[in-house]
Amino acid sequence: MQKAFLVDGSICLGCNTCAMACKNQYHQDKGILWRKVREIGAEEYHIDNNNILPTLVSYQKAPKAEMPMERFYFSLACNHCENPACVAICPVGAHTKDPETGICKHDQTICIGCGGCVKACPFGASKFNEKMGQAEKCSMCWERQADGKTTACVQSCPVGAIAIIDLHDPKYKEYANAAPIGIDYAINAETKPSTRFIHPSMPKEVYRLPKG
Amino acid sequence: MSYSKENVESIVNNGISRRSFLKGLAASGVLSSFPGGILQANEDLNTKIPYLGEKSYQTFRNACPRNCYDTCSIKTYVKDGVMQFIEGATESTYTRGGCCVKGNSYVKRVYSARRLKFPMMQVGGKGSGNWKRISWDQAMDIIAKKLLEMKKEDGTLLGAALTKYSGNFGITHYGIEGMFNSIGYTTRLAGTPCWPAGIDAQNLDMGDMWCNDPEEMKDSKFIILWGVNPASNSVHSMKYIYEAKKKGAKVVVIDPVFTEAASKASQYIQIKTGTDGLLALGMAKIIIDANLHDQKWLDANSKGYKEYKAYLDKEIKLDNVSKITGIPLAMIKELALSFAKAKPATIWMGYGMQRHTNGGSMIRAIDAFVAVSGNIGKYAGGARYGHLSTWGFNYAALSQPKPEGSVGYTGPEGAKGEFAQVGGEKAAYTDRFLNINKTARELINAKEPKVRLLWVACKNVFAQDFDRNQLIRAFQQLDLVVVADQFFNETAKWADIVLPVATQFEEYDVNVSYWHYWLTLNEQAIKPLFEVKSDLEIAAMLSKRMNQLQPGSCTFPQSVDTKAMMVKEFNPGIYEQFGIKSWEELKNGPVKAKAVIPYADGKFKTPSGKFEFYSDKALELFGSALPTYLEVRKPYDKFRMTSPHSRWSLHSQFQNLEWMEDVHPEPYVYINPEDAEAKMVKEGDTVAVFNKQGLLRLKAKLTDNVQAGTVLMYEQWYNNNIYNVNELVDDTSSDMGAFKTGAPGVALHDTFVNFRKL
Ligand code: SF4
Ligand code: SF4
Ligand code: SF4
Ligand code: SF4
Repeated sequence: MQKAFLVDGSICLGCNTCAMACKNQYHQDKGILWRKVREIGAEEYHIDNNNILPTLVSYQKAPKAEMPMERFYFSLACNHCENPACVAICPVGAHTKDPETGICKHDQTICIGCGGCVKACPFGASKFNEKMGQAEKCSMCWERQADGKTTACVQSCPVGAIAIIDLHDPKYKEYANAAPIGIDYAINAETKPSTRFIHPSMPKEVYRLPKG
Repeated sequence: MSYSKENVESIVNNGISRRSFLKGLAASGVLSSFPGGILQANEDLNTKIPYLGEKSYQTFRNACPRNCYDTCSIKTYVKDGVMQFIEGATESTYTRGGCCVKGNSYVKRVYSARRLKFPMMQVGGKGSGNWKRISWDQAMDIIAKKLLEMKKEDGTLLGAALTKYSGNFGITHYGIEGMFNSIGYTTRLAGTPCWPAGIDAQNLDMGDMWCNDPEEMKDSKFIILWGVNPASNSVHSMKYIYEAKKKGAKVVVIDPVFTEAASKASQYIQIKTGTDGLLALGMAKIIIDANLHDQKWLDANSKGYKEYKAYLDKEIKLDNVSKITGIPLAMIKELALSFAKAKPATIWMGYGMQRHTNGGSMIRAIDAFVAVSGNIGKYAGGARYGHLSTWGFNYAALSQPKPEGSVGYTGPEGAKGEFAQVGGEKAAYTDRFLNINKTARELINAKEPKVRLLWVACKNVFAQDFDRNQLIRAFQQLDLVVVADQFFNETAKWADIVLPVATQFEEYDVNVSYWHYWLTLNEQAIKPLFEVKSDLEIAAMLSKRMNQLQPGSCTFPQSVDTKAMMVKEFNPGIYEQFGIKSWEELKNGPVKAKAVIPYADGKFKTPSGKFEFYSDKALELFGSALPTYLEVRKPYDKFRMTSPHSRWSLHSQFQNLEWMEDVHPEPYVYINPEDAEAKMVKEGDTVAVFNKQGLLRLKAKLTDNVQAGTVLMYEQWYNNNIYNVNELVDDTSSDMGAFKTGAPGVALHDTFVNFRKL
C-alpha cells in the first residue's frame, strides 16, 4: 500500500481551511505551514521563505496554465514519496517509511536538527524550525489515522478536495502520471512523489463585459 | 511543547508577557502604547504537538458565533484544562466535520499573546496610547459613577449610548442590550449595516425573510448565485452546489466580479454593477412572453401580478436591458428560459447586491422573477436571502425591566434591529434610536441630552463604521468611551476604558444561523484566561456597583452564571421546532429543525396574505408599489470601489491572528489591467487609493477578475496595519432598511475612488 493525497483542483476553493486545520492540530510556529495551498499560475513557491529547495533538482516547468489570479489551487503537503530522500538522508532515523501504509513519518523526539532532510527534500516539505532547532513535516496524521480518524486536513476540507488514496490500488490507475498544471513541482524527482492531481478548468461559459 | 497547562498558567500568572522585565512595568501600572511593539513578543508559544487519541481529551460542544452564514457546530478538544484543537461537529450534516480557515484558527485566538487581558484605562486621554492597568472594581466604579452622575444631571440616561452588532451572535449576547435595558431608557445605535435593504424587500414581497434549507440545493436543477460568493463566505454551502452540478444542474454566477464561486460554476455572467434589478425584470418579461410563467401559482398566490406585467410591458425594453446591464440579449434570453424550464430552480441573492442606493429594489425584482417562474414555496427552489425562523428564543438576557421611575425618550418609536424583535408593552417612554450606519454624525448631532457615554460591545466601530475623521471627532467629544473586546483594535485605541471579553470557549451560549437550520449548544470548555469576563458577567458587575451606589438603579442580576442564563433562553417552541425535550440533548451534538418548505402552503405574512408584486406598504414607504428599475448612484469619482468580505476574516475578526498572517499576510487592491495600464501601475506597485473621504496605501494586484472601471479591496482589520477600507466609504444610505430594521442600510458598494502609483 502507498497512501497518497489526491488533490482535486477542479473543486478546491483555495480556502486554506486544510492548511489551517493542520495548524489547529499541531500548532506549528508562526511562519511554518506543513500544508500549503498553492495558487495555479502564480509562481510563489520558490520564494516561500520556509522552502529550502535543493538546487540539484530540476524544477520542470509544469504545463502552462493561463488561469485567472487567485481562483485555482492545489493543496500540497509532504508527498509521502515512494523513495523518500528524507528517510535516506536522516542520520538518526527520525524519518521512517511505514512499510504498511507507505506514510513517511518524522519523529521529533529523535530528530537532532541536522537539517539534512530539509535540504534533501525536492519539495520543501520538510521545514526547519529555527526556534527548536529541529525539522518538522506532515506525517499524514498517522496518529489520527491509527485512531480511526482521517487526517485533519481531509476532515475539514469543506468540499472534499483532498482524498487519501492507495496509489497501488488499480482503481486509481488513471491518476498514475497526472502532473500538476501551472505550478512548479519536481514531477520527475527520484523520490517518486505520491501526490496525485485532478486538474481544474474554467467554467464552460464565461462572459465578461466588453472592453472600454 | 504545546499549549500545556504550565505554559498557559505562566501566561496567566505573568500577565502581559512572560518577559520578566515587562513584569515590572505591568506592576508599576503605567504602560505606554499598550499593547504594541514589545508587548506582543510572545507569539510562538507552541510547536508540533502529537495527536494523543480521542480518549485522551475532554470534549465540549461549541459554536462559531460570528456573523457568518455557516454558524458552524464545533467540537472542542481539551486536555488538562487547555484547548488543544477543534473540529467541526460530525453530527451536523451542514458543518460536516470541519470549520473554515477562520474557525480552525480559534485555538490561536484564545491563546494569542495579542489578546486583551486586563481592564485598562487610557490615562493620557483618547488616542494618547498612555494606558494604565486597572482592576475590574475600579473600572465598574468609574462607569457606574458616570452613569449615575449623568442620570442626576440630565434626569434621564439617554446620554448613555450602546453600539453593539455582530461580533457575537450568540443568544445570550443580547444580554448586552439587556444591560442597557436594565439601567433605564438609553440611546441605541440601531439598524444594521449588513442586510437591511434586502430584509425590507423580502418583507414587502413575502411578509417575511425566509429561505429554503441550503442543504436542499443539492436537488435543485438550476442554481443562480446572484451576487453571492459562497466559495469564500459560506464554504459549507459549496458541497450542495457541487452535488447539484454533478447531478446535471446548471450553476450560473451573476456578479460584477469573477469570484471564487464564479470560477467553479457552469457559467459566469459579468454584469454592470447596480443593474441586476433591471436584468431580473427583463428576465421576467422574457419568460412571460414565452408563456413559461407559472400562471396557476400566480393566480392563486399573488397580488398585483397584472400591474407588474403591465409595468414590464410598458417600461421594460429588452434592448435597453441588454445595453444597460452589458449582457447580450441572446444570453439573457437563454438564461431566463432555461431557468424557467428547470424545476425546481433557485436563486441565492448575496448581501453585497443590496448595499447600493437601489439595493432593495434589486432584491424585489429578483424575488419577483423567482415568483413568476413558479419556484416560490417549492422544495429546492426559492428566492434565498436569509431567515430568522429558528431564532424564537426567550431573549431572557435581553428582556430586563427598567428601574422604577426611569425617564426616557418621547419621540416616535423606531424598530430595534432585525434579530430580537421582542414585543414589549407600550410604555410612555422609549429608548432613543440613532442610525448605526451614520454612527459618527448621529453621535455628534444628538441633542437633549447629548451623548456622553458610549459602550461598544461585539463591534469594532473604527473598522466597520464610516467616516473615520468624524468618528474621531465623535469619540473625542464623549466623556467616557468603554470598549469591551478581545483584541486591542482601532476602536480600543480611541477608548477611555477597555474591558477584556471572554471568547465563546470561556462561557455558555446557544447559537442558530440565519442561513441553515441547525441549533448548537455552546459550552464553557476552559476557564476564562487572564482576567477576561463574559459580557453577561460584566453586566452583572456593573449592576452590583450601581446598586451599591444607588440601590434600585439597575435591574440586571448582580451575579450571573452564563450556563443558567443560556438555559433561560429555551422554550417549548424551540424544543418543538428542533424535536428535543431538553437543551441537555444538545450535549450529544447539534440538532436540525424539522423540515418546512417556506411558503409551500401559499400563506404569506403580507397584508394581502399573498406574494405582493404590488405592495401598498412599499408605495407608502419607498414611493413605488412595484419592483421597478431604479438607477444606481451616480459616480462621484473615477473608479467604483467594491469592498466585499474576505475569506480570511469576518469583518474585523480573524485576520489579525498570527496564524492567519501565515496564510494571508497583507491587503491588496485588485485593479483591472486596462485601468492599471492607463495609470502606469504594475503588479506589486504600491498605490494610493483615495477619494473625498480618505486615502489608503497598499500594493496592487492586476487581474481581470474585476471589471475595468472598478477596484476591489477586501474589508479586513490587520494587526499593526492601518489599512481599513471603510475609511473610503461615505455613509450614503441604501434605498430600504427602515421598514424592518429601524434604519436604512449603507450603499457601501456605491463608493468611488481614484488611484495613482506611489
Ligand atoms: S483542499 Fe479543501 S480546504 Fe484546502 S484549500 Fe482546497 S477546498 Fe479549501
Ligand atoms: S516530499 Fe520530501 S519530506 Fe516528504 S517524503 Fe518526499 S522527500 Fe520526504
Ligand atoms: S495530513 Fe495531517 S499533518 Fe499532513 S498536512 Fe494534513 S493535517 Fe497536516
Ligand atoms: S467563520 Fe463561518 S464557516 Fe468559519 S467556522 Fe465560523 S461559522 Fe464556520
